[in-house]
Amino acid sequence: MSGGNTKPVKKKMNKAEFKEHCWGLTFVAPAFIGFCIFMAFPIAFAFIASLTKWNGMNNMMDNFVGLANYTKLLVDAKFWKVLGNTIIYMIGIPLGMIFGLLIAVAMNRKIRGIKVLRTLYYVPVVSSLVAVAILWMWVFNYDYGLLNSIVKAVSGAHGPNWLGDEFWVKVSMIIFMVWKGLGSSIILYLSGLQGIPRDYYEAAQIDGASGWNLFRYITVPLVSPVTFYLLITGLIGGFQVFVEVLVMVPTGGLNYSAATVVFYLYDKAFGSNQMGYGSAMAFLLAILIFIVTAINFKGQDKWVKTIE
Amino acid sequence: MKLKKVSAIILATVLAAGTILTGCGGKDSSTTSDGKKNLSVFIFANDHESPIYKGMIEQWQKDHEDTVGNVDVQITTQDEYSKTLTGMMTAQKLPDIFYVGPESVQQFVENGYIENLQPLLDDQGISTDDLVAKEALNSYRYDGEKVGEGDLYALPKDASVFAYAYNKDLFDKEGIPYPDPENPYTYDEFVEVCKKFTKDTDGDGAIDQWGCGLANAFMIQQYIWSNGATFLSDDYKTVTIDTPEFKEAFQKYIDLTLKHEVTPTVEQDASLGVYQRWLAGQEAFYACGTWDVAAFMDKETFPFNWDLCAYPTLSTGKSMTWLGTVGFCVSANSKNKEEAARLVSYLCANEDGQKELSGVVGGQSIQLPNLASLAEGEFRTAIENGDLPFPSNVDVFFNYLSGNDKYEGRFQETTYTPNAEWFDVFVQNVDNVKNGSMTIDEFIEKYQPEMQEALDTAWESVE
Repeated sequence: MSGGNTKPVKKKMNKAEFKEHCWGLTFVAPAFIGFCIFMAFPIAFAFIASLTKWNGMNNMMDNFVGLANYTKLLVDAKFWKVLGNTIIYMIGIPLGMIFGLLIAVAMNRKIRGIKVLRTLYYVPVVSSLVAVAILWMWVFNYDYGLLNSIVKAVSGAHGPNWLGDEFWVKVSMIIFMVWKGLGSSIILYLSGLQGIPRDYYEAAQIDGASGWNLFRYITVPLVSPVTFYLLITGLIGGFQVFVEVLVMVPTGGLNYSAATVVFYLYDKAFGSNQMGYGSAMAFLLAILIFIVTAINFKGQDKWVKTIE
Repeated sequence: MKLKKVSAIILATVLAAGTILTGCGGKDSSTTSDGKKNLSVFIFANDHESPIYKGMIEQWQKDHEDTVGNVDVQITTQDEYSKTLTGMMTAQKLPDIFYVGPESVQQFVENGYIENLQPLLDDQGISTDDLVAKEALNSYRYDGEKVGEGDLYALPKDASVFAYAYNKDLFDKEGIPYPDPENPYTYDEFVEVCKKFTKDTDGDGAIDQWGCGLANAFMIQQYIWSNGATFLSDDYKTVTIDTPEFKEAFQKYIDLTLKHEVTPTVEQDASLGVYQRWLAGQEAFYACGTWDVAAFMDKETFPFNWDLCAYPTLSTGKSMTWLGTVGFCVSANSKNKEEAARLVSYLCANEDGQKELSGVVGGQSIQLPNLASLAEGEFRTAIENGDLPFPSNVDVFFNYLSGNDKYEGRFQETTYTPNAEWFDVFVQNVDNVKNGSMTIDEFIEKYQPEMQEALDTAWESVE
């Protein structure tokens, strides 16, 4: 595109430009058609389903109820409970960022075996979620698990009921999720750190800045783009936590203390055959994620600094 | 330049075509190239049942090689079955043959998913007179208004009984005489016997052997019904868990864990389930369904000597348990209905098939024989002369199935309601009482309204 002009002027394309335009559309077409079939259509379908009492078997339009599912959802105590659980799990996001940044700073120097360390930290990220969830399920086991064996060996007392107690189950899920995602934060922060010019540190050190000041006033602001990215993806992913709960606490925990929104909607849609209600929940969740993401994007001007 | 252009066109076309055609698919696979019929079957089965059913279906296919091509058998676990089936229904990709429970017959028929088998059976001259479990068979009849009468929409795979069992080796070890199936224990006798087993056997200060283990979802009805109470009213529309009989039975069930302490605690249950503990020989009593027999007789799965017995009785003096059944039905959209009906009746009522399923042939019993003549004849003789490994108290199963003055079997109350959500509310929250954080009265006060609401919503969905 021509640079430097103020407003793009809408003018008729000549033949050559039109041809190029068509080629462009042709190449975009597969992805666009894919989007329409696999994303746009299901979203529209789910929205219509959310306005009905569809149970997977009956005729959808015969059971049209308008916004009744949504109003029922807003007064559903279980929904608020699982929403609360989902938000509590997001404590893992800042935790992951802090640990990730600290470890990345520690690894950002020429140590022997740095490649091995990096690989080790990244292995959980590429491991199958279901496989490691099953593994951790056993680590958290009340009688035979690794954690409680350690607790017993160290203190003699029996460890907590990691997956059965209403409080501890949340702690366990957060530990698991932080562990799983740590690798990506580290890798991303590492690359962010390597983008910071050395001169900044040298200049500050000449002025007598301490290590902590260097960290706080140079490192943290200059990796803020990475932080922003991790925050957004963390929030979007955090709202959709499901597999971890399904594998580790298949009943949703005692009194649904571990269940998340997606878990509840899966249970309602496929367990109780209330597909319309489940669709309404999914839609509400989508709107929530959208709002949160939009707020974050707007807010980034305030705190995300880029290296100019 | 021309080559680049041509390659670009080809690439774009392939990409576009690939994307569009990904969604399409499914050539007509209902017949093979030479006109033979293909069938697809989707069922659930445990590890011991799977090979037997697969083998039976293969045998049937061989016997009918001239008309039948491939029979594709898909087997999953019971937990996953209904969710997968729902997915198949919404995608309109139902297999030719699948399972229907008596509680779903009305809904499946009304929504046009399953075929009326009566005309197909009549045309082929297949009779259902010799089936032993008449009540199970009738639960697949529907006349357009009520289940229980009218044409058959499915044939029973089996009529199963959820009986009680005991570990003979543990009884020998503690020197306690075996339970007498003619005289079921009363609740108090049962508690006394269980207490004798509950102890710390390896001296580490923690109890590692118990009288029994209780799985809430399957073992609470036995106590409730035997005390003369029920979860629902006679018309299955009102939740009746606040009657004195119900509360008393519920209390006695909970007391086994909290007061008499003869079962693992809720935490111990979470770390290793009560079924696993039974297999590990940590419990003296546990349940045995007709489908469990082969697994329990297998020394690798369950290396102890065991036998069947009755559940303890409460105020009615009758030992009660629940019966189960699931039926084979044919999809209304099947392209090969006659062949499917033939396979269904083979699986349900063919004598050779029943011999294999009940273990008369092959020695692995996964269900009681459906045919009365077989059940009273060869099945019993095979057990008596040891050809069929089976617990000697096989009559416990038959007593529950047909009922007598000491035994009664009933279908679960969820069978008669449009869905089981009201019961799930109950079962999922029993642990709150079992771990001592709620009393029974508090439980009833909190959950009875929720159960009633779920039940009301369920009934509304079919009206």
